[in-house]
Amino acid sequence: MSGSLIATKLFVPKLRAGVIDRGRLNERLQRGGTARLTLVSAPAGFGKTTAVVAWLQSRPPAGAVAWLSLDGTDNQPTVFWAHVIAAFQDAVARVGAPPLDIPEPSEQPDNVVPGAIVNALAALPGSLELVLDDYHVIEQPEVHSGVTFLLEHLPPNIHVVMTTRADPPLPLARLRAQRELVEIRAADLRFTADEITAYLNDVTGLGLSAADVAALGDRTEGWIAALQLAALSMEGREDVAGFIAEFAGTDRYVFDYLVEEVLQRQPETVREFLLETCFLDRLSGPLCDAVTGRSGSRETLDVLYRANLFLVPLDERCEWYRYHHLFADVLETQLDAAARDRLRALRRRASDWYEVRGERTEAVRHALAAEDFERAAELIELAIFGMQRMRQELTIRTWMGTLPDAAVRRRPVLGIGLAGVLASVGEFEGLEERLREVERGFAAITAAGDTMPEGIAVADLAQLPRVPGLVELYRAALSQVRGDMAAGVRHAERVLELASTDDHLARAAAASLLGIAYWSEGKLELARARWTEGRDGLMRAGHVADTLGASIALGDINLALGRLREAAHIFEYALEVSAAQRSPVLRGTADIHTGLALVLREQNDLEAARRHLLASAELGEGARLPQNPYRWRVADALLRQDEGDLDGARAVIETAVRMYAADMFPNVRPVAATRARILVAQGRLDEAARWRRDAGVGPDDAPSFMREYEHITLARLLLAEDLKGGGGTGARALPLLRRLLEAAQVGRRNGSIIELSILLALASRPAGIEEALKHLARALSLAAPEGYVRTFVDEGPSMEALLKAVVKRQIDAEYANRLLAAFGPAQPKPRMHPELIEALSERELDVLRLLGSDLGGPEIARELAISENTMRTHTKNIYEKLGVNSRRAAVSRAEELQLMTRRKA
Amino acid sequence: MNTPTAGQSGRPEAETYELRLRGHLDSRWAARLAVPDLTRESDGTTTLVAVGLDQAALHGLLQRIRDLGLTLISVSRAPAASDDASK
Repeated sequence: MSGSLIATKLFVPKLRAGVIDRGRLNERLQRGGTARLTLVSAPAGFGKTTAVVAWLQSRPPAGAVAWLSLDGTDNQPTVFWAHVIAAFQDAVARVGAPPLDIPEPSEQPDNVVPGAIVNALAALPGSLELVLDDYHVIEQPEVHSGVTFLLEHLPPNIHVVMTTRADPPLPLARLRAQRELVEIRAADLRFTADEITAYLNDVTGLGLSAADVAALGDRTEGWIAALQLAALSMEGREDVAGFIAEFAGTDRYVFDYLVEEVLQRQPETVREFLLETCFLDRLSGPLCDAVTGRSGSRETLDVLYRANLFLVPLDERCEWYRYHHLFADVLETQLDAAARDRLRALRRRASDWYEVRGERTEAVRHALAAEDFERAAELIELAIFGMQRMRQELTIRTWMGTLPDAAVRRRPVLGIGLAGVLASVGEFEGLEERLREVERGFAAITAAGDTMPEGIAVADLAQLPRVPGLVELYRAALSQVRGDMAAGVRHAERVLELASTDDHLARAAAASLLGIAYWSEGKLELARARWTEGRDGLMRAGHVADTLGASIALGDINLALGRLREAAHIFEYALEVSAAQRSPVLRGTADIHTGLALVLREQNDLEAARRHLLASAELGEGARLPQNPYRWRVADALLRQDEGDLDGARAVIETAVRMYAADMFPNVRPVAATRARILVAQGRLDEAARWRRDAGVGPDDAPSFMREYEHITLARLLLAEDLKGGGGTGARALPLLRRLLEAAQVGRRNGSIIELSILLALASRPAGIEEALKHLARALSLAAPEGYVRTFVDEGPSMEALLKAVVKRQIDAEYANRLLAAFGPAQPKPRMHPELIEALSERELDVLRLLGSDLGGPEIARELAISENTMRTHTKNIYEKLGVNSRRAAVSRAEELQLMTRRKA
Repeated sequence: MNTPTAGQSGRPEAETYELRLRGHLDSRWAARLAVPDLTRESDGTTTLVAVGLDQAALHGLLQRIRDLGLTLISVSRAPAASDDASK
C-alpha cells in the first residue's frame, strides 16, 4: 500500500465552518479522557466523527492525537496494526517526540503486536488519544482480540476513542463495571431543539420560525445528516415554509427524500459528477477525471466542498476527499438500472487508474466490484506472491470469496499462489483438488508449446516455471499433515528434482519437510543434511526468522547424534544471525538461547546455562516460538536439578508438562518422560511408575526411534527399582538396554549410545566390574571429544566409583579425572542469593571462607598476605553486605547463600 | 451493485424473512438491498420480504440496512407458505 493512501487514513479531520458548538458533548468527551475507552456509538449520519473532532479542537492543547480512519482493508490484522502503528508514529512525530520502538507487524505474529505496542507506549512521556474512526468496519475476530488486549493493558497515559455504527464485540460490560468506559450514543448525539435553532438560523442563516424549526426537528428527530440536507434544500428557496410542510407531510424515508431534493437543485454537471463518483471511497481530481472521462474534476470537488455537499477532506492540501459515507450510499441508491450498468464501466476505470499507480489492493477491489472477474483474477495473480510474503493471507481469502472459482481454475499460477495461501493458514481441505487443477493447466501450457492454450491464462509469467515444484511442495505438506510420511518424502524429493536451483524458498521448504520426515524415522544423519540445506536455503531466500526454526531442529538433531559441540556452534551461529538483524528481535531467538542453555548444562557450565535461560526469558513474547515456554521449563527443571534445587525441579517440570505445545517437529522427547526421569533421579519410584502406566511402555517393546527416549526412561526406572536398597543385580534392565543399544548403534545415534552405555555399565556392575568398565569405556570414548559431563555426573556415587576404577586402570584417565572433579556439591547459582544487596568481591569471598575455618583474625591476614587493617575492612564490608554483626552469623548466612563452596575463579 | 445475496432459495438452512423499516422506500431500494420487492405500508413503514437467506446472509442484509441509515422496526421469519408463494 502506498504512502499517500495511508496518509489519508491518518489525517486528523478539521472542522469546517458552520459547526455549532455542542458544549454538552465536549464535556462528556473530556470526562471520557479519564477512562480507557470512549465509545461513540450511533447510526450513520449522527455526527460522531464531528463530535470527536470538535472536542479535540475545543480542549486546551494536551498530548498527542493518533487518528485512524478505518476501512474494509483493515480486516487483516497485519494491515490493521501497521496502520495503528503508523497513526502512533504520526502522532508522536507531530508533538516532536522520538519515534516509538515498535516492530513491523508483517515480521511478527499477529498476537504479539499489541503487546509490543503496549510496551512502546509505556515509554511515551506525554498523554495520547488514539481515535479509531468507523470501527464497525472491523469484522475479523483476530483484530477484535488484539484490540481487547490493547485496551486491557493500556498504560494510563493512553486513551482510546472509537466511533462506530454498531457496538463492537469488545468486553464493554467489564469496562463499564470498572468505570473505564464512557459512552456517547444516538440519544446524546441527536440535536436538541436549541441546537437545531442555532444550526438552522445562526449558522446557515435561514431565519426559520420556531414552528418551522420544531417541524424539522420532529421530522428529522435531530438527525444531523438529515438536518444538513434539509438546510441545503432550503438554501435560496423562496417557499421555505412550503418545502417544510411537504417534507413534514411525507412518509418517505427522510434521507432518501432529501438527497433527491438536493440533487434536483444541483446543476446538471454537478448532479452527474455526484452520481458517477459516489462509489469511490476516496476522490482526487485525477482519479475523478479518469473515472468520469471529463477534465476539471479538481475544480468540481472544490465546488462541492464549498457547497457543503458532504465532502470530507482527507489531507491538508485538499488533494484527496471522501464523501460522507451515508451520503454516498444513498446517492448510489438513486442510480437507475442503466446507471448501475454504467457504474461497472466506471469501476473498471478506477481499477485501471489504481493499477497504473501500483495500488494493487485498490485495483483488485474495484475490479471485483465491477464484476470484471478476469481482470480481478489477473491482478490478484500479480499480487499474490508478494502479499503472502507480507502475510496478508486473510485479504486474499476475502477476495476469493467474491471471485468465481472458474476464474481461478483457468489460471494455474493464481491457483498455486492460492494453494500456498491455504496451506499457510492451515486450510488443507480442497487443497488436493486445487493442486490437480493447477497441474492440468500447467500440462496444457506445456503441451501447447509457444502459444497459450484455449481457456488458460497466465499474468505472472515469472512464476510459471515454479509451478510444478510448488505443486509437489504443497503435496508434501499435505501428506505430512495427513500423517503419511512416506508420501511426504516422495513429494518433497520431487520438489528438489523439479524446482530450479535458484528457487531457494521451494527447495528450502522441501528440504525442511524431508528433514522432519527423516528425523521422525530416526535417520538422523540424513535429517541433519536436509535441515542444513533448509536453513541455508531459507537464508538465501531472505527468510531469516525461519532460519531460527531450522537451527532449533538442527541443534536437537545434533544433540541426539552426540555432537554437543556442533549443536553449540549451530545455536551460537543462530544468535549471531539474530543479532545482525535490526530491531525487533527475531522470533525464535528466545528458543535458541534455551537450546544453548541445554548444551551448556550438559557440559557442566551451569552459570552460562543459567545466563542463557535468563536471556531467553528477558527477550519477551515476540522473540518466542510457541514451544519455548515448555522447552524453557524443561531446561530450567534440569538445571535446578543440577543446582540441587530438587523441589523446584519437580514443580517446574510439572508446568512444562502442562505447557507442551506441538509443532511440525517429531515429539522425540516427551516432557512426561523427562518428568519421570527427574522422579527416578530423586528416588520417587512410585510416582515414576505411574508415568510408565500412562505412557504404555514395556520392557519387551520393539525398539523404535520415536519411543527411544521413553524406553531409556523405562530402563532407568527398572534399574533404579532393581538396585533399590543395594540388594538387586541390575539384571532386570539389561535385556532392554542391550536391545536399545543395538538399535542406537544401527542408527549411529551417539547421544543415545553414550547414555545407554552408561546405564549398561551401572546395570552390569553388580555382576562384575570388567563388563561394567567395557561399557563405560565406550561411553567415555564417544563423550570425551564433545565434553559431556552431566550425563555421567548425574548418576551419582556409583558412577563416581566406576570412574575412579577407570583412572586406576589408566583407560581414559584424563577425561575421567575431569569428570570426577565435577562430582561433589553443586555450584551456587547467581539467582540463589537475591537477598544479597551487593555481591561480595573475590577477595571478600576469600576472607569469608577463612572466617569459616578455625583460624583467628591475624592468622587469616597472614594466610592471605594482607595487613590486619585491610583484613578488618574486608570483614566489616562482609558483615554489611550480609546484614550480620558477628563472625558466626556471617558464616551461617554465607552457608545459607551457598557462598562458602564457590570455587576460586 | 446487485449483490447475489437473496433469492437463492435451495440453500440449506435458508429461510424467508420479513423486515419492517421506518419510512417509505422507493422501489429502487429493492435492488440496492437485494430483495425481490418491497411494500409501502399505510402506517408509514416499508416491508421487505427476503427469500432464501441463511443466517450469514440475513446479517449481511441487516448490515446494509444499518449502513444506509435506515431504522429497523422488526425482523421475523415468514411462514413457510410465503416462501413457496414468492418463487
